[in-house]
Amino acid sequence: MLTFAFRKLLTLVGTMIGIAALTFLITNVAPGDPARLVAGPNATEDMVATIRSEYGLDKSLPEQFSVYMGDLARGDLGTSIVTTRPVLEEVMRYAPATLELVFVAMFLGIIVGVPLGMLSAVYKDGPLDHVTRIFSISGVALPAFWFGIILQLMFAVDLGWLPVSGRLPLVTRPPEFYTGLLLVDSLISGRFSTFWTSLQHIILPAIVLSFPCLASILRVNRAEMIEVLQSDYIVAARAHGIASYRIVALYALKNAMLPTLAMIGLRFGWMLGSTVLVETVFDWPGIGLYAVSSALSSDFKPVVGVTLMIGFFFIVANTLVDLAYAWIDPRLRRA
Amino acid sequence: MFGKIFRNIAIAGLLASSVLGSPASAFERTDKGNVIVFGGRQAIPVLDPHVRYDWSTRMLQQAVYDALVKYEGNPADIKPWLAEKWETSADGKTWTFHLVKTAKFHNGDPVNAEAIRYSFERGLKVNKGVAWMLKDFMAPEGIKVVDDYTVQFDLKAPYAPFLSFLPWWYIVNPAEVKAHEVDGDYGQKWLTDHAAGSGPFKLGRWEPNVLYEVESVENYWKGWPQGNNRPAGVIFKIIREPAAQKAALQRGEADIVEGLTPDDYVQIARAKGIAIEDHKGMTTFGIKFNTQKGPTADINLRKAIAYAMDYDALIQVYNGAASLETSPLPDAMKGFVSVPGIPRKDLAKAKEYLAKSGYANGGITLPYVHVAGLEEARRIGLVLLDSLKPLNINVEIKPEQWPNMVANGSKVETAPAMTSVYTTPVSTDPDAVAYQYHKNSWGQYFAMMFYDNPQVSEMIDKARGSSNWDERAKLYADIQTQIVADQPEVFGMLQNRRWARRDYLQGFQFSPVRFTGEVDLYPLWVKAE
Repeated sequence: MLTFAFRKLLTLVGTMIGIAALTFLITNVAPGDPARLVAGPNATEDMVATIRSEYGLDKSLPEQFSVYMGDLARGDLGTSIVTTRPVLEEVMRYAPATLELVFVAMFLGIIVGVPLGMLSAVYKDGPLDHVTRIFSISGVALPAFWFGIILQLMFAVDLGWLPVSGRLPLVTRPPEFYTGLLLVDSLISGRFSTFWTSLQHIILPAIVLSFPCLASILRVNRAEMIEVLQSDYIVAARAHGIASYRIVALYALKNAMLPTLAMIGLRFGWMLGSTVLVETVFDWPGIGLYAVSSALSSDFKPVVGVTLMIGFFFIVANTLVDLAYAWIDPRLRRA
Repeated sequence: MFGKIFRNIAIAGLLASSVLGSPASAFERTDKGNVIVFGGRQAIPVLDPHVRYDWSTRMLQQAVYDALVKYEGNPADIKPWLAEKWETSADGKTWTFHLVKTAKFHNGDPVNAEAIRYSFERGLKVNKGVAWMLKDFMAPEGIKVVDDYTVQFDLKAPYAPFLSFLPWWYIVNPAEVKAHEVDGDYGQKWLTDHAAGSGPFKLGRWEPNVLYEVESVENYWKGWPQGNNRPAGVIFKIIREPAAQKAALQRGEADIVEGLTPDDYVQIARAKGIAIEDHKGMTTFGIKFNTQKGPTADINLRKAIAYAMDYDALIQVYNGAASLETSPLPDAMKGFVSVPGIPRKDLAKAKEYLAKSGYANGGITLPYVHVAGLEEARRIGLVLLDSLKPLNINVEIKPEQWPNMVANGSKVETAPAMTSVYTTPVSTDPDAVAYQYHKNSWGQYFAMMFYDNPQVSEMIDKARGSSNWDERAKLYADIQTQIVADQPEVFGMLQNRRWARRDYLQGFQFSPVRFTGEVDLYPLWVKAE
């Protein structure tokens, strides 16, 4: 098991280096002159040159790449040419907002997706199954930005129930920093009104972000449940006269949950990537929004930094799933 | 299908809101007073007044800093501010400014001649942002402290637009900046998200990519035009999507927004409690031709395109909130003349010019590049496409990200045949626009037509060096006429500047010299119900 874990760790490091190299090259060969952009519309050539030299953009691409990889090895993600701040500092600043959104969306995806998947398997081909099928197809098919705007119009503008955007009301000061997750920090600080308002703010973006994830969980859970419900031990349990709800909730669900757990692990990384659109629509100050604004300004280092961070979480989630599987099924350790 | 989805979500929302929901207030009230909320699309990564100056940055810079003079009103006039008066030498090379003696920085230090000298020296030495405005005409050594409240600028050569740039040179407190210097950086790192100014507001919360707050200075040295009605502060909240801006305004989460679509402005104007600020601006729109390379290097083809263009449709794109350009200069600019014979749609003339060109039968495809996501520019591309069909010229509409467009437009070889460009002049001096047509401007986004007429460049040089307005006015009239004759672009329209605000927000003062979206926060106030 330890060898297996060590092998996985080596793969993780190799993949991270690959991601860093690839993203760096792609962003740097893309057209656009960040120094000219930052210098402003009327800047003279020598003003642009000042900025180029300040950020090492006057060096050749291989030189820039070797400096970047060297800095990366020391844990330095470089400096943003637009904000003039270290990328690591900014990623750390924005990451908690994204993680909070992803956690809440994941929570919504699980508490809605798993029971609905279970019920649609139990009542296979019934009206509920048809409704959840439409629900899950819509979840995968609806574009996040469109869905987000529709929810804003409905629940924020027309009904006035929830705020349009942001994490907190404008005059509310954030709670003391413990984790950066406002829901958690406000509870730790005992600021319950801040907890409620931050909950109000997170509902709409979390629904939009969770919708595709919820749909996948629902479908996977349904398919597994159908298979498990037809297995011999379930038939035997029925023959013993055990109540249906006990069979479904205690015997079938447990076994059907394994692939669902794998799906949850995969979806975590996917959700981090999807925050780009959701955060833009809801002005959610996370790494997705940071990545978009940086990309639009040809500010390459933040783009590479965010990609690395998302890649890291994606790989970690996958590795954890692999390790869990290997722990459960020893045959996989030798694979 | 959607009905079911929405019904499910509505039920979830109903349950949530029954527990949590509480409507937002119209404007934010704090124990210090009313806080005005401005919803804008563009973040402010760096506040340092000598490093950056786009519209959102400058709006906040103007709130926390003062300059020697200030632009106010429509048409924009230069008003005394930190300088109560000034004089120029007969040769136009020496400018002497006499400062008010009551101005104080937020920490209580006096705003004196040394602060002015240091700020200008800093701007020139940092060599970023506003530096280009003065660097060719003034060296740091040319700035002299005459006495505590008198400062003198000795220019290398006469430079008529000098005064017109001074409203954008903000004064920083030297003591505070020097205290935060790191490795001789002139305090750049610190001034990124701190301020050392004397303006009507001081910096409050600074949450990058979320909001930027300024708090009003109770005893601001210049006083408050709205007296006791001055707001406690202003929050500039980043709301990127026009739909979300509209929603925030309707819901009362923002008191004023700047980035709605033309259709949104028409729609929201009918809503109760909403007022629209709709003013003729100085932002010009032109379809810039690459005059050096490819088919558009042919002046007859350029003329043919200019005469084939449907100009009325340009106005329709903005639902009427625009007016056609009658000169390369916007009408609010000093020295503007309406150039007779500026092309308007005339298909017969267009065909005449086409026949004289190297493409007598058309049969060519020309790219039209616009900023990706800019809907109006895309629709203008469609107008162009329709307009050029009778000439048998095809238009390929290509959206590009702004950084790519700027990069491609900086070289003759890569600049597209036609690019849609909006330009807002930095000052009201005619040089601010005329110089875009000088050969020295090649490489800048607004000069991607690579216009080259030595006679025009010479007139521009002569005009900026003259201190005689009558002489300058004549030169600028000739410059405008010649540029129109050379047709380096399709002269389009001046798009109106618009903001949507709640009607209780008072004191809005428009000045055309401000950039797109930029508002003077100083006179704003909330009329209590």
